[in-house]
Amino acid sequence: MTENNHNAAQNIYKPATMKIVDRRDEAPGVRTMKLEFQDPADHELFKETYRTGMFGLYGVYGEGESTFCVASPETRKEYIECTFRESGRVTSALARADIGDLVTFRGPYGNRFPLEEFYGKNLLFIAGGIALPPTRSVIWSCLDQREKFGKVTIVYGARTVADLVYKHELEEWMQRDDVELVLAVDPGGESPDWKHRIGFVPTVLEEAAPSPDNCVAVLCGPPIMIKFTLISLKKLGFDESNVYTTLENRMKCGLGKCGRCNVGSIYVCKEGPVFTAEEVSRMPAADL
Amino acid sequence: MSIEQQYRTRAKELLSAGEVKMVIGYGAGTTAERRRPIFITSPDETERLVLDSACIANLSGYLVTEGLLSDEKRVAVFLRPEGIRALNVLAAEAQLDPLQVVIIGFDLPKGELKSLQGSSVDDFTDLLGALKESTPDVDGRELLEKIEKMSPEERFAFWQEEFSKCIKCYACRQACPMCYCRRCIVDSNQPQWVNTSSHTLGNFEWNIVRAFHLSGRCVECGNCDRACPVNIPLRLINRKMAQEVLDSFNHFAGTSKTQEPVLASFKKDDSETFIL
Amino acid sequence: MTKILFTDKLDSCVERWRSAGMTVIGPVQRANSSVYDAVKSASELDLNLVLTDRSIKELFFPQSEPMLRYAITKAEINTDEFLPPSGPRIIFGARACDASGLAIDDPLFGWDYKDEYWFQRRNESVIVTIACTKADEFCMCTSLKLSPDSTKGSDILLRPLENNKGWQVEELTDRGREAFKSVADLLQEGSDPAAATVTVPEKFNADACAEWLKNPENFESRFWKEISARCIGCGSCTYLCPTCHCFDIQDEGGSFEGIRRKNWDSCSFALFTMHTSGHNPRSTQSARWRQRIMHKFNYFPGKFSANSCSGCGRCTRECPVDMGITETLQEISKLSQ
Repeated sequence: MTENNHNAAQNIYKPATMKIVDRRDEAPGVRTMKLEFQDPADHELFKETYRTGMFGLYGVYGEGESTFCVASPETRKEYIECTFRESGRVTSALARADIGDLVTFRGPYGNRFPLEEFYGKNLLFIAGGIALPPTRSVIWSCLDQREKFGKVTIVYGARTVADLVYKHELEEWMQRDDVELVLAVDPGGESPDWKHRIGFVPTVLEEAAPSPDNCVAVLCGPPIMIKFTLISLKKLGFDESNVYTTLENRMKCGLGKCGRCNVGSIYVCKEGPVFTAEEVSRMPAADL
Repeated sequence: MSIEQQYRTRAKELLSAGEVKMVIGYGAGTTAERRRPIFITSPDETERLVLDSACIANLSGYLVTEGLLSDEKRVAVFLRPEGIRALNVLAAEAQLDPLQVVIIGFDLPKGELKSLQGSSVDDFTDLLGALKESTPDVDGRELLEKIEKMSPEERFAFWQEEFSKCIKCYACRQACPMCYCRRCIVDSNQPQWVNTSSHTLGNFEWNIVRAFHLSGRCVECGNCDRACPVNIPLRLINRKMAQEVLDSFNHFAGTSKTQEPVLASFKKDDSETFIL
Repeated sequence: MTKILFTDKLDSCVERWRSAGMTVIGPVQRANSSVYDAVKSASELDLNLVLTDRSIKELFFPQSEPMLRYAITKAEINTDEFLPPSGPRIIFGARACDASGLAIDDPLFGWDYKDEYWFQRRNESVIVTIACTKADEFCMCTSLKLSPDSTKGSDILLRPLENNKGWQVEELTDRGREAFKSVADLLQEGSDPAAATVTVPEKFNADACAEWLKNPENFESRFWKEISARCIGCGSCTYLCPTCHCFDIQDEGGSFEGIRRKNWDSCSFALFTMHTSGHNPRSTQSARWRQRIMHKFNYFPGKFSANSCSGCGRCTRECPVDMGITETLQEISKLSQ
């Protein structure tokens, strides 16, 4: 499914320079940045190659590069949005960067969600915590061409109300008639004025009980949540081949060469990061 | 009965009686000259143990394998005097409880296999004390003397050439019983204390950081030197540092399980010559 | 009749190549360790070695490669690209395992995205391999379906003469022919017989091993823990390996200027796959050794139709605890019977 055969003559390790044009604090330690290409050629290449699900390496010179998804949809390629948790050396440096500062981007790499295969189908998006950004890229890619899809249901849960990301967009989806949004926080994570569900994602999902008929599920979250949500999806009658998820592993090149992101024989950077649950179930669990 | 056979019998008895859960010893290697570490857990396997003049590696590093001693059961290990010193240092630095270690001691003076009496670190106190007084038996003594006679510039050039070969495979660190840090300073990146690159500067940084960290702790077993795939004479650095520590603080690493780590303790009569 | 390069003409060849602007590289001794390095005359070459301590790969994929120099101001980021030192090179006296190793890694470095640091050097290098007339107990090329006179990855194959006075010259590629054209007058036609290549006994059955590795049931076999119990987790086997290609990307310098480098990295190291969260998919040494074997004999052949091993045996030769691919695959061969 790789669609990004770069021109041979260029240095594949050289990143594009990006300017931070906007940034937003999403949750404690979680930030979204909006990045603009500085070189039109880099931007053209991005526009040609980017499809939802692909990832990039975001960098700060002097600190290095860090891998995460492109959170903006394939229907909006004028900029790149990314959302990250400040946790390591590079993300800490990114978090220190201000509007107007320059950072780098290398990508987009990897495979994508096969949106054409989703046409005419009902869509169920399930996300936990900081894993909304990859899901959000698919959500907007679909909402921006809403007529091509059936019913859209979004189940999103976080540990606490404060940990919910994209709060303004959750509000927007909540208002829309053509989207059903189910919001939840873990027990104890609710605020006094919390009006939505309280419970773990798998439980909330089972209560919402979306129909598996003609439906594709997109599931992103921490490993433990994925594990239990898959059980719930199975109970609801979903076939593993209709459940899509993304894997993340430590990467250095993103190009299939540095040799560390494989799970069994599968290179997450080249053959992923998007996999069906069925594909994941065939991977050696001990390597995940 | 050969020492090898005596020790096989001893290992068998220890395992049969349930006194130890494992014996860490030497087995036959890929070639006739090679020995490799083996881990025996069944009395039926003790015949695989080999003991001869090729059993040079210091096996004490395996004692700090994560989880090995956490069940409070005992482990027997074949150790030369350097290995026993290493065990003492590990005990003194609170990395293990020496009571969990049964020593199967041997030595190889001039390549002749000799058994050592005793099984607990305390049984070897006199032996180790005597070692401190003896002249160290180091391969490459001539090279060391040659280096000592060099001018600082020549010496720098010598090490520059040696370190330029370093590929940062960290075999020296991994083979060293004293390098037990869960996260080595070169693996820390916030901040990045040491360049990870294997260029001459990065190689100097790494080897010098390691030399300092081993000062007063190194027991000169030679594991690092033998492990180095590009033959950097690492033992010479450690020998030099050990001599400095001996001269400055009268400290010889690993003489007892309660010996205070020399660079982590202060004595009123410590030499202050090293402070500029 | 065949073309012969006599040993006493080698120095003239070296001189000829050098004066034509080629860097001449070959096996040499450097501070008590053998490597492939540049030479000024044939006398520096050590052509009697079974194999250099370090592999040929570092001539193409150096242990630390500067990729970019960056300089940052508020308004812009300037990056100069470092390209590999250009210029033609001739590597005289490679071994078949080393040359094969380069050919094995070509598809990896060209997998969709072409790594110019690798390919620029590949395109500018002529590899002159000398067939082996001696081997040691660690050599295992024949177990990998290669041989002491494999031509894979080589531009010229030289077969030592029985009388040890030179080599029969087999030109394998246009690049090789081109390089030898400039020394054509130094070669002679002759019928001196070539010495027999050394017999390297087959040590394991690579096909049987591949089948065993492909069986998902064996992924969590107790075997992995047992075979790797003594592994100390250094990177010696991976760094000396002619086909191990894993790397790290590191920035050195400050926030305003510095260098981005591509450095060797090793699947033996715990940090290699460690997530920022602390989760490590390969958290034990046995999982890491399994990865190394699986990668070389299952994953890599699945993608590029060749084992990621050319049988040089350096992994075992230099292992501080006498481990290595040979032992592991011998044991797997037994298990797969």
